[in-house]
Amino acid sequence: MPDATVMGRAAPALPNPTEAPPAEHRAPADPPMARRALFRFGALAAAWSSAKAMATPPQVPADVEPNSLLVRLVSRLTMGLTTEELALANSLGYQGYLEYHLNHTAIADTALDTMLADQVRFSTLPMTYEQMLQVAAGQVANECIEAAVFRNVFSKRQFFERMVEFWSDHFNIDIAGERTSRLKPIDDRDVIRPGALGNFRTLLDASAHSPAMLYYLNNDISVAGNPNENYARELLELHTMGADGGYSQQDVAEVARCFTGWTFWRDASGATAGTFRYNQVVHDTGQKVVLGHVIPARSAAAGIQDGLDVLNILLDHPSTANYVSKKLCSWLLGRSTPQATISAVAGVYAASAGDIKAMIREALSANNLAAAEMKFKRPWHLFIHCMRVVPTTITNTSQLRSRLITAGQPRFGWPTPDGYPDHVDYWVGNIMPRWNFGADLMNSNQPIGGISVNTTGYFAGLTTAPQVVGRVNDALEGGEMPQGERTLLENYLQPTPTSVTQQREVLGLAMSSPSFQWY
Amino acid sequence: MTGPSHPEAARGCPEYAELSRRGFLAASGLAAAAVAAPAWLPRVAFAKDYRSSMRDVIISIYLRGASDGLTMCVPYADNAYYTLRPTLAIARPDSAATDKATDLDGFFGLPPAMLPLLPAYQAQRLAIVHACGSTDPSRSHFDAQRFMEVGKPDDPTLLTGWLGRHIANIPPMNPSAVLRGVGLSTGLARTLVGAPDTLPIVNLSGFNLAGAQTSRTARRMVIDSMYNGTVDPLKAAGLTTLQTIDTLANISFTTYQPAGGANYGTSSYGTSMKSVAALLKAQVGVEAVAIDVNGWDTHTNQGNVSGTMAALMANIAQVLAAFDTDMTAGATQPSYVVVVMSEFGRRAQENGSAGTDHGHGNCMLVLGSAVQGGQVVSQWPGLAPGQLFEGLDLDVTIDYRDILAEICAQRLGAPDLSVIFPAFTPTFRNIVA
Repeated sequence: MPDATVMGRAAPALPNPTEAPPAEHRAPADPPMARRALFRFGALAAAWSSAKAMATPPQVPADVEPNSLLVRLVSRLTMGLTTEELALANSLGYQGYLEYHLNHTAIADTALDTMLADQVRFSTLPMTYEQMLQVAAGQVANECIEAAVFRNVFSKRQFFERMVEFWSDHFNIDIAGERTSRLKPIDDRDVIRPGALGNFRTLLDASAHSPAMLYYLNNDISVAGNPNENYARELLELHTMGADGGYSQQDVAEVARCFTGWTFWRDASGATAGTFRYNQVVHDTGQKVVLGHVIPARSAAAGIQDGLDVLNILLDHPSTANYVSKKLCSWLLGRSTPQATISAVAGVYAASAGDIKAMIREALSANNLAAAEMKFKRPWHLFIHCMRVVPTTITNTSQLRSRLITAGQPRFGWPTPDGYPDHVDYWVGNIMPRWNFGADLMNSNQPIGGISVNTTGYFAGLTTAPQVVGRVNDALEGGEMPQGERTLLENYLQPTPTSVTQQREVLGLAMSSPSFQWY
Repeated sequence: MTGPSHPEAARGCPEYAELSRRGFLAASGLAAAAVAAPAWLPRVAFAKDYRSSMRDVIISIYLRGASDGLTMCVPYADNAYYTLRPTLAIARPDSAATDKATDLDGFFGLPPAMLPLLPAYQAQRLAIVHACGSTDPSRSHFDAQRFMEVGKPDDPTLLTGWLGRHIANIPPMNPSAVLRGVGLSTGLARTLVGAPDTLPIVNLSGFNLAGAQTSRTARRMVIDSMYNGTVDPLKAAGLTTLQTIDTLANISFTTYQPAGGANYGTSSYGTSMKSVAALLKAQVGVEAVAIDVNGWDTHTNQGNVSGTMAALMANIAQVLAAFDTDMTAGATQPSYVVVVMSEFGRRAQENGSAGTDHGHGNCMLVLGSAVQGGQVVSQWPGLAPGQLFEGLDLDVTIDYRDILAEICAQRLGAPDLSVIFPAFTPTFRNIVA
């Protein structure tokens, strides 16, 4: 049984739909469209859900309808809720479903594996850098992005892909450019994906040795005497301690000295091209002091230890525990996550020596999720979700990639090392490309080249407008579409709810609805 | 007209009635505009009390990545500059070099790549402010941009932008305007956050709902009603987007002909600024524009008279010069002010990668019809070892907020600067008339 003092708390703070704006900018009369409100609509409307047997009732605060919490959990763990995922969550229960996704390697993914085995479409995925040099850089990048589309839409390991996205932002590398077009796909394959649900220490170490990162942040040409500070600063600010983590400009300069010589073998190096290289000739052998730790003068040959020492100092620093936990909580729960929750996750970081799964378990408790704010889907998430809720065939992603650019989120395309923003204020205004993706995806003329949707049988046997909209509601929102939106869609279907064109347009409109923009 | 037709309004959808009213306003101006105006001009005539002459439209240009002000406006008379920049310096105006600085005032000079802006400077429409910037010592791009854009250093609780609060704090320049602020970007710059009736729109041309034409009006009604039924910020974004369709549909961005033969080039920044010129001349009530120009984080191979930095400068110089020509040569001359800024400058001493690391003081550019141009405004702190900020960087002797506050007060009609720049008392530098 849950702890009564925690579970029975009378009035948990209302989930906040956005980061709190200053009071003068609040809408005067409108209550926040808390997910809680959607819960109520869902509880009223989704008759089917109450009929579902719940294998393991989740530990839920008394005022949250259990199915709604599962809808939220599925939405947070996946690239968009589907009826299949919700059914799975219903059968496994809250904790069981979370563990299912955390144990991602146990999830069979044969359909995706078959798609990715296409050696024409994805010829460059397994290549070494040297092999990639024989292929146009743009092709290497496009195959990497296309693979990401397939994985996000079709993989059963949905939470793993969510975490790949998180770490792709945390260790952001812009894929644009001749060299990063080849190096970033290697970083994605050899650093981000192997580490996404592993250990943060391992992940940071791999990133620090990644040619893509060393090149992107100019450490590859940082030499003794006049080092380049770019990587050193972002290592402290973005990868570990955070800008408020308590380091100084002097620390940045010292860290830069420690990493002099961390580079990679250049293009003409044969089989080792594109792999990590410690070039001792340009390493600064003098003593350094980083965050009060003396790093002794070492021979050039032993000097690689300087950088490894820095990584350990950073990994053991409480600011790193807090900053990484804060970012993880922000991803999973939202930016208004209480400091107490962040500190609890940071405690797990310290106790488990950076076990990412353990941190996620701590963050994603039923209580924490029930109290979390709604999050606004970024364009990538929204587009992927659209393609997950209707039977979609993808033969080419060039037009999809172009639409992601217009919407503001080309995969691996954020130019600066901070990664894509994850707050509603940044994304909300650029809504036309979001609406138009759903509209065009569901247009019977299929104007998005390379992507087709087959709705044959999707509404089989459904003859009334409420039935059709009920199907849309279940498929897109797990039965939680607000009544107002449902009524508008039902009216749109009149007088011919069986019109295929109008049914598809209703799906497109549902993808454009306010409620579908959140998760 | 291209606006919505009336049968749908008769269905009794109140939101639609509002849309139709706007459509009617647009239509009523059609006849008058069609007589005298060139084809690209919008077929819109707004209310008589349009007061564009009372306020400038502000175009805020942000150079993301920290631009090297010591190259953009060269302090050639400071000998230390040449000591610190053995390979990256721009030669003195009196040097024998072919590519060298062009003198502005006996102390500063323009590098060759910035020369397209010399006519605007000489015509006293361009001013440069040097050793300027945020006094916050952060050398983090992201903190520095954030603090600069919210208008207050080191305050993580302030979430809205300085320009967003300015727009929120004054009545619309044009009471009929549906779009008061626009960012030419795929996400809203922090500068504009908090502004009512403001959207990021990366391409002003062809702004409309997709899907079958036959059902477009009916689908628009559904979307309108759905977004009327939700809450901000999504409600405001949705409704402003729908209303903006009609505003932008009346402006022919693709056929717009700049005045005076202005050539914006083909960069995305040029395309954006050309659209902004059409938007301003259309006088639909836009008061604030924000545009980002990326790529200024020149840690390596920065170059001087050629290379990365020169290409970046040549782009903004060409585009700003084209905008200056376009806005001053034609029959329609909207009152405007452009400010160009960046989060901080770059390290005074070049690094070992022929580039520059993160620094502190920088320069700002101010261009416009009421700018006190033809001057480099500066209290030059010097680049000698004892004069550098933290021993490393050009110091900040003019707070960037001095410049923006003066513009807000003198040209944008700001009634209360403390809303825009909290806890700050600006010193006006006579940048604008």
